[in-house]
Amino acid sequence: MRWTPLLAAPAAITLIAPASANVYLTIEQAQRAIFPGASFTPAGPAGVYRASSGGYVVIDRVLGKHEYIKYAVGITANGTVRGIEILEYNESYGYEVREASWRAQFVGKSAASTLQLNADIKNISGATLSSKHITDGVRRVLAMYESSLKGR
Amino acid sequence: MRRARPMLGTYVTIEAHGLAEPALERAIDAAFKAVGRVHRLMSFHDPESDLSRLNRRAAWEPVAVDCWTATVMRRAQTIFNATGGLFDCAVGCELMQRGVLPPEELDHVVEGSFSAVRFLPQNRIMFATRIAIDLGGIAKGFSVDRAIAVLRGHGVREAIINAGGDIRVIGDKAHPIHIRCPDDSGRPMPAGLLQNGAIATSSASTTISRRAAPASGTARNKNAYSIVAPTCLLADALTKVLVQTGDVSSELFARFGAVALITRSDATNAMAA
Repeated sequence: MRWTPLLAAPAAITLIAPASANVYLTIEQAQRAIFPGASFTPAGPAGVYRASSGGYVVIDRVLGKHEYIKYAVGITANGTVRGIEILEYNESYGYEVREASWRAQFVGKSAASTLQLNADIKNISGATLSSKHITDGVRRVLAMYESSLKGR
Repeated sequence: MRRARPMLGTYVTIEAHGLAEPALERAIDAAFKAVGRVHRLMSFHDPESDLSRLNRRAAWEPVAVDCWTATVMRRAQTIFNATGGLFDCAVGCELMQRGVLPPEELDHVVEGSFSAVRFLPQNRIMFATRIAIDLGGIAKGFSVDRAIAVLRGHGVREAIINAGGDIRVIGDKAHPIHIRCPDDSGRPMPAGLLQNGAIATSSASTTISRRAAPASGTARNKNAYSIVAPTCLLADALTKVLVQTGDVSSELFARFGAVALITRSDATNAMAA
């Protein structure tokens, strides 16, 4: 184990973190990950794809407390969840959502910038973020499946 | 290659390098499965989990659990003893009183401590008093360690896993780590570079204190309490101790090979031991 702590940044310097955008999978990759070997055709509603092997992949988005998430839900021909894959996860902070004039830049130089820590905010340790928003999203997608996709 | 899935009630990200793409895909998928197994065994919310069966029945009869559950319970006991009871997973009662955990079928539960847990042969466990266990302060870290072991078994030598803020990295690369204070505006602050180790962060509002006057004060405390340790289980568990003591230079952390740091929400500086 090796830990190189940062020296305390001068208090006068305000670090403003840029929003961190993480793209994990394209829609096509997510489709293949959930239904390997199948081919897909658009199934009517935007973001809904039918798998040749039966079942659907639905692309949806949710806005959480600090995060904006695009994800894919795979639904089997029986209407059960086959898999959930996150396509994009964007750290979006409250003030960024509120202020249109968001500047995705850091101000000033600090101990941090010498270590190039500001280049990419990817690994965030913090008290656990709840994934409740995505759970709610999946529930909504399943309700949509029941009402408009099932048996088509 | 990086993949993310909603698991353990949070987001789990696995990034691995150094193999051909199909091999990486298989390795990452298997690693996610290990996380899923920990979730199924140790979820407080799932009535079928080992943990739920323990909480419902172990006060009256021995309950057989999976070897992974037994391992986590034994580690929980070791850390409970080593920290003079500050790390205590027998906080199910308090968490239900706070409304954090559901009280279904747990009307019998009273306050107690992990000292009531008895280990019997063949991975069976009993409680001497009517406690309820919550493994929320340790199982997530354990799942990251298991997932790392799975990746290693698939030949991966360079990887980083983040399970809702509990991070472990393997390989030669030093990874920049940011820390997010609870609430705040959610702005992460740079903390340091991590190589071949783990870091976990906790907050006062998610910690049940075993001290009469916890150093962290009230739940309005918005500091982030982080531990860097060789394994994610240790890092995860020891954050609960740091929240209560507020003492980054305690020799307790050094004894575990860990480093403690507190990130204050009102400043950009972190202090490290």
